Amino acid sequence: MGTSTYLFKQGYGNLKKHGSKTFSTMLIICATMIILGIFLIIVINVNHNVKTVTEGQGLQAFISEDHLEQESVQEIARKLKDVDNVKEIIFLNKDDALLDAKETLKEYAYLLEGLEKANPFPASFIVKFENLQGTENVKKAIESIDGIYKVGYNETIMNAVISVADIAKIVFFGIGGVMVIISIFIISNTIKLAVYSNKREIFIMRYIGATNKFIRRPFVVEGTLIGMGAAAISWVIVSLTYIVTYARLPKIGSTLGIFGFVPYSSLWYIILIAFVILGIALGVIGSSISIKKYLKA
Amino acid sequence: MIEFQKVTKRYDHDVYALKEVDIKIEKGEFIFLVGPSGSGKSTFLKLIIKEEDPTNGKITINSKELSKLKEKDVPYLRRKIGFVFQDFRLLYDKTVEENIVFALRVIEASEREIRTQVSSALKQVGLEGKEKSYPNQLSGGEQQRVSLARAIATRPPIIIADEPTGNLDNVTAKEIMESLFEINRNGTTVVVVTHDENLIKSSNKRVITLNKGRVASDTGKGGLI
Repeated sequence: MGTSTYLFKQGYGNLKKHGSKTFSTMLIICATMIILGIFLIIVINVNHNVKTVTEGQGLQAFISEDHLEQESVQEIARKLKDVDNVKEIIFLNKDDALLDAKETLKEYAYLLEGLEKANPFPASFIVKFENLQGTENVKKAIESIDGIYKVGYNETIMNAVISVADIAKIVFFGIGGVMVIISIFIISNTIKLAVYSNKREIFIMRYIGATNKFIRRPFVVEGTLIGMGAAAISWVIVSLTYIVTYARLPKIGSTLGIFGFVPYSSLWYIILIAFVILGIALGVIGSSISIKKYLKA
Repeated sequence: MIEFQKVTKRYDHDVYALKEVDIKIEKGEFIFLVGPSGSGKSTFLKLIIKEEDPTNGKITINSKELSKLKEKDVPYLRRKIGFVFQDFRLLYDKTVEENIVFALRVIEASEREIRTQVSSALKQVGLEGKEKSYPNQLSGGEQQRVSLARAIATRPPIIIADEPTGNLDNVTAKEIMESLFEINRNGTTVVVVTHDENLIKSSNKRVITLNKGRVASDTGKGGLI
């Protein structure tokens, strides 16, 4: 039996020795992970929709009648591309604009018939953003371009989307932070019990010449096993809940027409990785805190 | 091997545990360290294993000055010193063999070393055949032998025994001392802290007496008080 196997056995032995305490700690850590998992799913979904909205949203820069020659349009296009946070631009000439208006009016499109010869619709550029942060600056920069006389921009939707995304992140990090701290406290308390019952062993180890790393490792193994166990249980619960909920979600999405949910297939590994990392981190930090005072040289 | 040069240890409120102590112990020596309670014996031991640092003075073990030792190197210093306690400090949920294996695992010995050293240490203290016994199934003397075997299994050049016979009857105490003499004859430096005058008188070994934190007397090599 090598040193690593020995240390693992020691850690696992501690787990078994305090079975019920270990189990209750695992459940509390599970609760933390499930709550964090739900928030993480909300954040992922909000971000997904922010991205969709970002891709769909943009502003419309209208070109004045005296700048419609090819060189002027090209110059405007070049300047637009130079503006920060501009992802792409699409040129709509006057004919496109008329066609677009007809499509919008649908059965009332006949109202616009005969306008082809004296088309009153202005040519414009549709400008798409990289992200929705700082779109106000993009608007100001475009307004100052020579040949642009007006900028159409739907601030309300964009600001609402940004606010939702920001709130989701704040809630995730705020509540998440508090829950992580509570979990570290709980896990370190459980391991303190193991440390206490192994006090004699630790004392002898120190006299014989054990390094701090050697003394710490079984407890870190114990903490990590608790964290990983909780991660596995939480992942199964969160996954099943999302799969069941997602099966009912498309109906809501299609009714609303705008909100779509991320399918489980592109979500499961993010949740799994997040839980495993969180489980290991909680185990390592929690156990390191509880063993600290016994590691004085 | 062990050298204290003008070592002073002062605790809070001007309480001196040791005051300008000069002691030099050569490689392979056998020393009795004696003195009444509060004379500074425990502090002397704590300083040797760097559990505490002196307020003043210089301590050298194996040509290494302890004040220059980094915290992470302290375990390696302790591996050079085998400790035997008055109350044995054995792990009672482990067998005799497991107690010794434990010490070797702590110093991260190889599997081969573990196998060789366990049987060699048990043979040296006369505990062959008791490998699978638990400490509770052994007499006090035998438990102290397990403690001795654990101390020598890691092959340290120094053994420090803190009142090793304090909990034992006279006959058993003599047997334990005999084992320590034997360990010393094999080249290990041995420091025994004791109150037992009889053990000292019959041994013809160097005796250092501490009193009120100072060296009250030192018989020198092979001396008698």
